[in-house]
Amino acid sequence: MNFRRFTQRSEKDARLADEIEAHLAHEVDANIARGLSPEEARRRARLKFGNPRVMRERVWEYRSLPWIEDAWRDFRFALRSLAKSPTFAIIAILVIAVGIGANTAVFSVINTVLLKPLRYPDPQSLVMLANTGPQGVFPAANVPKFNIWHQQTGIFDAVAGYDQAGAGLNLTGGNEPEQLEGVHVTADYFRLFGAPILAGRTFTAAEDSPNGGRVTVLSYGLWKRRFGGNPNIVGTNIQLDGQPYLVVGIIGRDFFTATPTDLWLPYQFNLNSRDMAHYFQVAARLKPGVTVPMANAELKLAADQFRNTYPGSMGPKAGFAVVPLQEIMVGDSRLSLLVLLGAVTFVLLIACANVANLLLIRATARQRELATRSALGAGRGHIIRQLLTESLAISLVGGLLGLIIGFVGVRLLLAISPGGIPRIGPHGSAVNLDGNVLLFTVAVSILTGIFFGLFPALSSSRVKLAVALKESSSQAGVGSRTGRVRSLLVISEVALALVLVVGAALLIRTFLKLQAVDPGFDTHNVLTMAMSISGERFQNTASVAQVVRDGTDRLKNIPGVETAAAACCLPLDGGFGLPFDIVGRPKTNDPNSGGAGYLPISWSYFDAFKVPILRGRSFTEQDDGSAPGVVIINQAMARKYWPTGDPLSDRLLIGANMGSVFAEPPRQIVGVVGDMRGDGLNRDPSPAMYIPIAQMPDKVTALNSRIAPLMWIVRSPVDPHPLAKPIAVALREASGGLPVAHVRTMDEIVVLNTSRQRFNMLLLVIFGASALFVAAIGIYGLMGYSVQQRTQELGIRMALGAQASTIRNMVIRQGMVLAAIGVAIGVGGALWLTHFLASFLFGVKALDPMAFIATLLLLSAVALVAVWIPARRATRVSPVAALRFE
Amino acid sequence: MPISRKDTHIAGEILQGTLDLLILRTLLPGRAHGHTIAEVIEHTSENALEIEQGSLYPALHRLEDRGLLASEWGVSENNRKAKFYWLTPKGRKQLTIETNRWKHMTRAIGLILGEAQ
Repeated sequence: MNFRRFTQRSEKDARLADEIEAHLAHEVDANIARGLSPEEARRRARLKFGNPRVMRERVWEYRSLPWIEDAWRDFRFALRSLAKSPTFAIIAILVIAVGIGANTAVFSVINTVLLKPLRYPDPQSLVMLANTGPQGVFPAANVPKFNIWHQQTGIFDAVAGYDQAGAGLNLTGGNEPEQLEGVHVTADYFRLFGAPILAGRTFTAAEDSPNGGRVTVLSYGLWKRRFGGNPNIVGTNIQLDGQPYLVVGIIGRDFFTATPTDLWLPYQFNLNSRDMAHYFQVAARLKPGVTVPMANAELKLAADQFRNTYPGSMGPKAGFAVVPLQEIMVGDSRLSLLVLLGAVTFVLLIACANVANLLLIRATARQRELATRSALGAGRGHIIRQLLTESLAISLVGGLLGLIIGFVGVRLLLAISPGGIPRIGPHGSAVNLDGNVLLFTVAVSILTGIFFGLFPALSSSRVKLAVALKESSSQAGVGSRTGRVRSLLVISEVALALVLVVGAALLIRTFLKLQAVDPGFDTHNVLTMAMSISGERFQNTASVAQVVRDGTDRLKNIPGVETAAAACCLPLDGGFGLPFDIVGRPKTNDPNSGGAGYLPISWSYFDAFKVPILRGRSFTEQDDGSAPGVVIINQAMARKYWPTGDPLSDRLLIGANMGSVFAEPPRQIVGVVGDMRGDGLNRDPSPAMYIPIAQMPDKVTALNSRIAPLMWIVRSPVDPHPLAKPIAVALREASGGLPVAHVRTMDEIVVLNTSRQRFNMLLLVIFGASALFVAAIGIYGLMGYSVQQRTQELGIRMALGAQASTIRNMVIRQGMVLAAIGVAIGVGGALWLTHFLASFLFGVKALDPMAFIATLLLLSAVALVAVWIPARRATRVSPVAALRFE
Repeated sequence: MPISRKDTHIAGEILQGTLDLLILRTLLPGRAHGHTIAEVIEHTSENALEIEQGSLYPALHRLEDRGLLASEWGVSENNRKAKFYWLTPKGRKQLTIETNRWKHMTRAIGLILGEAQ
């Protein structure tokens, strides 16, 4: 109301002028009617009306908002005053813009990942169900657990299971078969996440039971891409894995899934299953009013009930819990992003210190101007306000520029990011400029302006009138009060920069250590790809073994292929684990005490990866379903379970207590192979059991085929990329038309595995380098200014016979003392702050002496260069010129 | 340098209330433009309240901003362009309130001054 009055007042003033004109005209009319001459009539009318201008001003004034006008006037004045010293203004604005830009970039990612609510209705009540235990919290489920969670109707409104489309699915029937991402879900999935239905419907409870028929729901993307957006597709059949599937519905475009999804299939669980292997996940919606702790209390009882129903299935320390869905999705990227935010905040602080320094220099030079203003009646408050407005003008213009830098910067940031950041969408498309980011940038700009402007404004508004007007402005050197403040600012810049550079050094060391890790296998010249075997054809082991055999034969005949193998999974790319018992040894109470990686492979796997056979033998093509069961273990497992004895004389019972699916006779250990770092280059190798694909129990094969695709591994003596096409053709022929997808070299997978470390390192190096650069400019600026201020003094010294080297050393000493103090404080800060980095480090400690010493040397060298230049200038002072200087 | 804006006219403020009341009362029979309002106030008060005509306008605009008056440009009785004002329902209500307050006050002042019983 008030504000509208304010904004429209120019127009209203014009109308008021018209109105006054009309009034006067009427009065003149009346006067003429009374018999006055026109001139007299006009004169009397004006006299009677009073001064129209005063009236208009009174209306104008009552419509004004004084503080906005004052602020606006101050702001314009500030811009004019900055325009008078463009070099200063441009440097200050740029420094601030870079600082704010970096913050805006990092914040916009944080905003997307951590702050924005999930794009589901009422996202706060969505939780994941998780297992708790000594190993930590992991969200995973099997049918018995799903059942018991589903029964918790007191705390949950809806419970749904779903997988991550790992196995893939082949869309057949067209010209070009295509591997699709098909997510298996239980019927409640769509209701739970509030999926918008574009056409048709979702699965009924009947369709989601065993023998519920072949039905599917399409995603918007697949519907548009493969079916041309034809709504009549609903109610017709499409061919998946060679079988007809009825399309019952299409989901709207805006539905967000954590993993890329082309279509959904009903899980069709056999709810009587007692299989204990975890192969899907379960989400739930809390009932209104139910909190996470309340739900967890209920689940504690449910866990006890579960232990009683399925004895031996869960350790005494294990249990169930709910975790907010957003927390699970964000995962460990939270810490990573907060560390980044800390780093960019440091950069901004250094930028602030630098601009504050510039302002102090400027204020010194402007002392006479300020004193004149003061003499003309400006109060101290006015001067502070004026100076602060100038700072705000700098920071706001810098903020505007920073917004642009941030917008560009975040694109760069995402371009080099590992792609492991959750919730940012394909190529970071979900990261955008929204109200939060704008608000953040504006708030940071204003805070920054006050932060770097307040002290200079306070200190330079304290003008001793008479002194300032009388004396020259060149009296403030390093020794004066503002000089001490400036030294303090430089010291803090050095300290902040040191912390950042130590962080960068630690991450560089981490990355180098990771590069030097021996993965335990030869990653070069290996091409990998995925073949989905989810169809009904692959429900038994023999059929999978046949595809593996035929495929391997065909691949071997391609020129340039050295070895070919198949496996359930690739190193550094996930895998399975199962418990085992060593036959003849007493069982421990904890069923998971003997747990190891469970890796079905073909006979040539170790050849393809060049993994050494340390003892016994590798698998052969003869280790098939008709041969006795065999298993090969890795060195880590041999060391852990056979510290003295001979593993080759023992047999393993794998998957005991895991339900009927995994039931099989014991297997003879026939070999020990070298460790592959399959869980990550930064993880120690864990125990692993390799078994021949051809010897898997049928039900495990069926389960595996639904969870994960079959991976093909092809070694070539040279770069294998050109082989991708002939391999795909050969495999399609060998498998009866199955396509391959996700073609990657093993080297690419290794790079992906270390990409997060590379990303962290790169960013901290960028931030650390810019901090170092800005701090160096700070030192240089201070010493340069100090030398310039002391020209006279230096000239006298020289005239009195001081050596150039003495003068130079004096300046260097003064500069380096500041740097040394900053370094000391910075080391203190770094000792405390680097522990936040601990979880990002590998092979180095947070207090790594190498990193600290290297940083110290680097920083000292940079500081020395920054001091050296002004020091040399000091020695070139001509005594005569210096004495004439004033 | 900004100038302080604390030059308020306290005497004017008191009169302001009275002027507002007079304007509202003048508009009770119907719409009128600024010049007419000024003349009516002058004449009906038997020229006792001779105001500077211009001071009417800040008052008119403030009353309009407060939603007590509405306005519209039109043509006056002697064929000139003029801005006509009239009471809004809110203005009518305000007039009643102000009139009562005025009567109470004048009665109270009358009692103190020992006029009518």
